[in-house]
Amino acid sequence: MNEQNLIIATVIFLGGFILAVVALRSEKKPPAGLNIVIAIAGLVFQSLFLRERGELHGRCPITNGAEVLVFVSWSLVIMYLALGRAFRLSLLGVFTMPIVFLFHVIAIVYLSIADPGARPPDVLDPWLEMHAAMSLLAYGAFGLCGVAGAMYLVQDRQLKTHHTGSLFYSMPPIKYLIDAMIRLLSIGMLLLTIGIVAAFFMRELPTALHFAASGAVWVLYAVLLGIYFVKRPSPKRFSVLVIGAFCFALLTLGAL
Amino acid sequence: MSIFCLGVNHKTAPVEIRERLAFAEHSIPEHLKEIRELVHVNEAVVLSTCNRVEIYGGAEAIADAVAELTEYMVSHFAVEPGEVEFYHHESEAAAHHLFEVASGLDSMVLGETEIFGQIKKAYALAQSNGATARRMNKLFQQSFSIGKLVRTSTRIQQGSTSVGSAAVDLAERIFGDLKECRVMVIGAGEMSRTTAQSLLSRGAHSIIVSNRNFDKAEELATELKGKAVRFDDWENCLDEVDIIVSSTSAPHAVVKKDTIERVMSKRRGHTLYLIDIAVPRDIEAGVNDIENVYLSNIDQLLQIAKDGQDRRHRQIEVCRGVIAEFLSEKGIEALAEIPERRKSKSGDDTLSDPPGNPVTHS
Repeated sequence: MNEQNLIIATVIFLGGFILAVVALRSEKKPPAGLNIVIAIAGLVFQSLFLRERGELHGRCPITNGAEVLVFVSWSLVIMYLALGRAFRLSLLGVFTMPIVFLFHVIAIVYLSIADPGARPPDVLDPWLEMHAAMSLLAYGAFGLCGVAGAMYLVQDRQLKTHHTGSLFYSMPPIKYLIDAMIRLLSIGMLLLTIGIVAAFFMRELPTALHFAASGAVWVLYAVLLGIYFVKRPSPKRFSVLVIGAFCFALLTLGAL
Repeated sequence: MSIFCLGVNHKTAPVEIRERLAFAEHSIPEHLKEIRELVHVNEAVVLSTCNRVEIYGGAEAIADAVAELTEYMVSHFAVEPGEVEFYHHESEAAAHHLFEVASGLDSMVLGETEIFGQIKKAYALAQSNGATARRMNKLFQQSFSIGKLVRTSTRIQQGSTSVGSAAVDLAERIFGDLKECRVMVIGAGEMSRTTAQSLLSRGAHSIIVSNRNFDKAEELATELKGKAVRFDDWENCLDEVDIIVSSTSAPHAVVKKDTIERVMSKRRGHTLYLIDIAVPRDIEAGVNDIENVYLSNIDQLLQIAKDGQDRRHRQIEVCRGVIAEFLSEKGIEALAEIPERRKSKSGDDTLSDPPGNPVTHS
């Protein structure tokens, strides 16, 4: 199987990250919307790769760890493009692109060493497709939420120390970051809930480990949302929690 | 025909001179008419602000026009010969000067945006009084394009340049829009007023003023359309506000860390920003260690303002590069050869050009 499209997407996201960093350090502002154009270009090649894999398997391309990682990256980029601007988080690209790049590199290495090849299903189950797609889109939202959390920690540090470099002036206000975290968590929860509900309609129920992992992620994020609305923890603690939760969610991918 | 600029600004003349030369806004149409009636001046725009008095014009014989206009200024504003030294620029230099002024590069506060609006207003006034023709129209329209380009493609506006603007910028980095922010001012001195006014000008929702002398608190509260509270009561208002500006003359800390810790436990995650512009400091430094609380003192704000000024100074050459690049593509339109039909000083719009483009307000 040729990973050419994935490699091109990876190079685009790496280039986008480098450009964003250079632009931040530059005396001149970058052209408006450059990060969006780059993200769209990367998304196109990600989609081409996923389409090829989908055609190979005859179903949603999440049959191995590499594909799952690329699918999560694709969800992250979709969420960034769909919500980043609305939540005034366009600088998320600086933080999102390196994560996408990292996931892609792992996927490329995995596929080049041990590509398990085609795994067509015995019977195509639309509920399974729905379960997988919604769950991984939820992971995209949770990933972006973690990115917003990381941005909060960076901006909090800059405000506490009065370190006002060009990154400081390019970052969104921390109140917007808190709002974005809550919205992304809510969106992620909604998508994950739909995904889990869809699983109950599948021809063949998932394994117990799969259920346990999905359930654990759902419960973790539900508790996080509950904590936020009931106890209102400090945004700094909440940011650490959403970053930690996403790391945990990534670990559970192994069981899915 | 070419263009020229004659004037004084904050670099060349003290305020005592600038205020004498300043054109009252209501009198500008009359002055424009008089300037147009000078023998050598064909077109004119008067730009009169706190920091500059400049006349841009078009003329066949620049040297004669400048001499005539200098004489006009000296006689009309009753300044002694030699008391004022007007600078003047001709042709390309005049155009470049206006482009830099429009970009905020010649301003006292580098990169400030107010001048852009002032130039638009000056041009609109001249245009509506029939004092401009093709050269001035082209020149000013181009200056608007350049001013906008410089501000959008460089970082000339980035960073704060004064203590007040640094405090407001930090508040915006925390809360974003200040429209829902409530402000408490402790101490009713000049610094408190200036900072509170800056916050209000950026949209802050409401102001509470507290001061040892309640009369002064009421006076400032009235001025800022806020509410005065007695000094014994300010702590009770802490959970109602998002920003606290403290500037008292107390020799000890007025705002204690344990007070803020107590308040934060009731605020359900709402962020608090404290601005301490007093010396000795009013707010215990440990307040900054509390989660979701940010504290700026006068030194930190001064440093941010200094960094902002330095950053803007570094941007001057970048901005000039942007202007040069723009002009290398388009040239100075006001200096391009224009087929002239005839020239009239009658007041009719019979100059060689079509009516100027309307001023775009953006």
